[in-house]
Amino acid sequence: MVLEKELLPYSEWLSGLGWDSALFRFGATVLVFAVLALVVGFLVAMVRYGPLKAGDLTYRVVTNGFKELWQISPRRVMALAGLAVKESLRRRVLVALVIFGLILLFAGWFLRTDNPEPARLYLSFVLTATTYLTLLIALLLSAFSLPADFKNRTIYTIVTKPVRAGDIVLGRILGFTFVGTAMLAIMGVCSYIFVVRSLDHTHAVDLRSVENIPDESGEVIGRRGRTMIEADHFHEFEVEADGRGIAFSEYGHSHDVEQQGDRYAFASPQDFLRARVPLRGKLSFLDRQGSPVAHGVNVGNEWTYRSFIDGGSAAAATWTFDGIDESILKINPEDETQYLPVELIVRVFRTYKGEIERGILGSIQLRNPDTKVKSTVQTFLAKDVSIDEHRFERQQYNPADNQPIDLLEDLVTKDGRVEVIVQCLDSAQYYGFAQADCYIPLPDASPLWNFIKTYISIWVQMVLVITIGVTASTFLSGPIAMMFTVSFITLGFFRDFFVKVAEGTQVGGGPVESLVRLVTQRNLTTRFEPSPAVQLMEALDRVFKGAMQSIAAVLPDFRSLSTVNYVANGFEIPANAIGQQLTVCLAYLVGLSIIGYFFLRTREVAK
Amino acid sequence: METVIETRALSKVYRDFWGRQKVRALKALDLEIHKGEVFGLLGPNGSGKTTTIKLLLGLLFPTEGQALVFGKDATDVRVKERIGYLPEESYLYRFLNADETLDFYGRLFDIPASVRRERIDRLISLVKLDRARKRQLREYSKGMTRRIGLAQALINDPDLLLLDEPTSGLDPIGTREMKDMILDLKSQGKTIVMCSHLLADVQDVCDRIAILHQGELKELGRVDALLKVADVTQIQGRNLTTDCQNEIRQVIDRHHGQLLSMSNPTTTLEELFLSIVQDSEARPGRRVVAEDTSREPAGTS
Repeated sequence: MVLEKELLPYSEWLSGLGWDSALFRFGATVLVFAVLALVVGFLVAMVRYGPLKAGDLTYRVVTNGFKELWQISPRRVMALAGLAVKESLRRRVLVALVIFGLILLFAGWFLRTDNPEPARLYLSFVLTATTYLTLLIALLLSAFSLPADFKNRTIYTIVTKPVRAGDIVLGRILGFTFVGTAMLAIMGVCSYIFVVRSLDHTHAVDLRSVENIPDESGEVIGRRGRTMIEADHFHEFEVEADGRGIAFSEYGHSHDVEQQGDRYAFASPQDFLRARVPLRGKLSFLDRQGSPVAHGVNVGNEWTYRSFIDGGSAAAATWTFDGIDESILKINPEDETQYLPVELIVRVFRTYKGEIERGILGSIQLRNPDTKVKSTVQTFLAKDVSIDEHRFERQQYNPADNQPIDLLEDLVTKDGRVEVIVQCLDSAQYYGFAQADCYIPLPDASPLWNFIKTYISIWVQMVLVITIGVTASTFLSGPIAMMFTVSFITLGFFRDFFVKVAEGTQVGGGPVESLVRLVTQRNLTTRFEPSPAVQLMEALDRVFKGAMQSIAAVLPDFRSLSTVNYVANGFEIPANAIGQQLTVCLAYLVGLSIIGYFFLRTREVAK
Repeated sequence: METVIETRALSKVYRDFWGRQKVRALKALDLEIHKGEVFGLLGPNGSGKTTTIKLLLGLLFPTEGQALVFGKDATDVRVKERIGYLPEESYLYRFLNADETLDFYGRLFDIPASVRRERIDRLISLVKLDRARKRQLREYSKGMTRRIGLAQALINDPDLLLLDEPTSGLDPIGTREMKDMILDLKSQGKTIVMCSHLLADVQDVCDRIAILHQGELKELGRVDALLKVADVTQIQGRNLTTDCQNEIRQVIDRHHGQLLSMSNPTTTLEELFLSIVQDSEARPGRRVVAEDTSREPAGTS
């Protein structure tokens, strides 16, 4: 599970300090837009009508605008929304549901269950299909609706009524959102049923493998055996003397087993859909000498998100967790003891091949951040990208004096903090970590609710597309509005790259420079000999980069809006993330509706 | 007298994408239209009638001058509360039925549900669409579309009606009904501005007319005054004998007048058509044939 960007707490994200605060950025963007719109509007009017009348017009548009924003009437907006719904139905929007049905029907042919994590495959397929289909419909509905009204001149009968331009924009957005929501709900129910039904299976028992489990006195206390292969896998299972048992986890799920005489009945699979809730800590690094550093080692062309620690040195990755108390401890069902579970994902980087089947040796231990008392060291063999659970029993021994210590009393501070220290023990090998790679698992959340949450984030993307599409269609014709929206979304999907090019941190230079490199077949890092032509190229790029930076400021980060990965990998989507997405959506809705209002208000409806 | 519409040196220049002047559609129009009158805008195609109406509705912005409706700028949204507009062709949503159409436009005026219900019923029966109220507009004939268009223009009980070619595409009965409705609305004290190039219709209903040509106002005044031919006197009589007619001729001669014509008048085709239809409705099935001895009387029952 990858968390590319750290999720800030909601309040900090919204109203923290500086440029990164969402509220500040929104305010600044609105201000820049307002000033820009005023200046451009005035200049256009001046060219047409001369300076005096232009001033008068600009003043009136602005003051009327502010007045009319408060005169938006729910009844008018709902009437226009109802019209948009009827129009969508007339434009056969329901065909999309048929297409979705067909996709699901044929998906069964291509989605194989021999994948070790079939749930991930099914979920990511279904959710991705839903996302793209929904966005496509949102795009087609929103971009063509208003232009069609202009073309058919039905807009004449609307704007000659006391309808504010804001009503028209909001009504459209709302209407298409209604349609989209209904379709998303239907697709959601179908997808859920599809995933659950496709993954559902039971097993028959390979009777030859069944054997008794004796205890020390030789008395039979249960039976164990193996199932036949079904859906490309089999399970080992155990049944106790009372006839109840479990088929152990394989391919991401387990089954309940019940013995009925000589027969064994396997229930439907469990835990295919999970919503793990991780308690995440703050990551810090120590370098080879054991002094604190901001990042670990960069092992080459690696993502800076994850950095590495050297093996066989003092280098360590330390996570500090907060809020540890008795409720977080789990109970071992076998001996009723309490333990603290810690799950760890390790990226392994080998500088020599070694024994490739054997993992790289590492150690993990707990430490009290205040008293520096440590727990017993646990060693483990790490394989690349596997999730391993490490259990710390409540009863621990202090490695310094070998005296018994209590995990909660001695290793956790009074305010509930504890450190997890991970080191790599094999010298000249490396472990790579990011903040999200170590967590303490809390009780799972409801997978169904998690599934619904990911639909909420698809919904947010849909509303964004509708809002952009409708706003674009207030001043562009249908096909152009669609192109505009598509470019906006595409740039939004590749926002990180776009920002890098705009800021000049991307190797290969700006748009003009990369075009020159493309044509002259130079590679990305070759330097240009200084010449007037190169200076011109760089000057042009500076202009482009400036423009790109301003575009980047208003681009929605579409990739971060997708929560499909959470659900597919079985992690809970934090409520905070959904909260942030809904806030972003509201901000775009408000901002773009106002822009749409002014475009529509200042446009001559007739020709 | 209360002024409903006032234009001051209203001009409109159509420009292309680059701002180059394409056509000067309206040149410094000054008009004043008063409360309660039926005002006709006349002119050949392309004379600026529709442009004027669009400027009065705020669908277009004037290049120069001003268009005031109820004392406010025509682009002001608030004046639209009191305006009804029947476009040249009925630009309505073809996937709605008559009920839905009127309900939709009623909501745009923020009319409460109960009032809306009552008004929709009244308007549907006024424009005689009771039997078609649940049919989609796409299935409507031209005449029915015009009538639902008029109904939507009346949904807010407007003080000012702007009718763009109200009788175009209507059959003679529809035309007559439309004209009756216009006169009826006038009797309710509403102000009506219509533009048309069907001169007979304008003549029948309008109090005052303006004639536009190439964007310029050519004539403005009361219809009866404009059409009155001051130096001609018309005499019409019934059961005059030939002697009587000769005597009248002599009287005119004696007074040095010039007799222009004396003959049996013909009725208008419109009146003939209407009388035939009325007759046919009164006695269904009977084919009405003028008494023409040269032809066989056919199909009489």
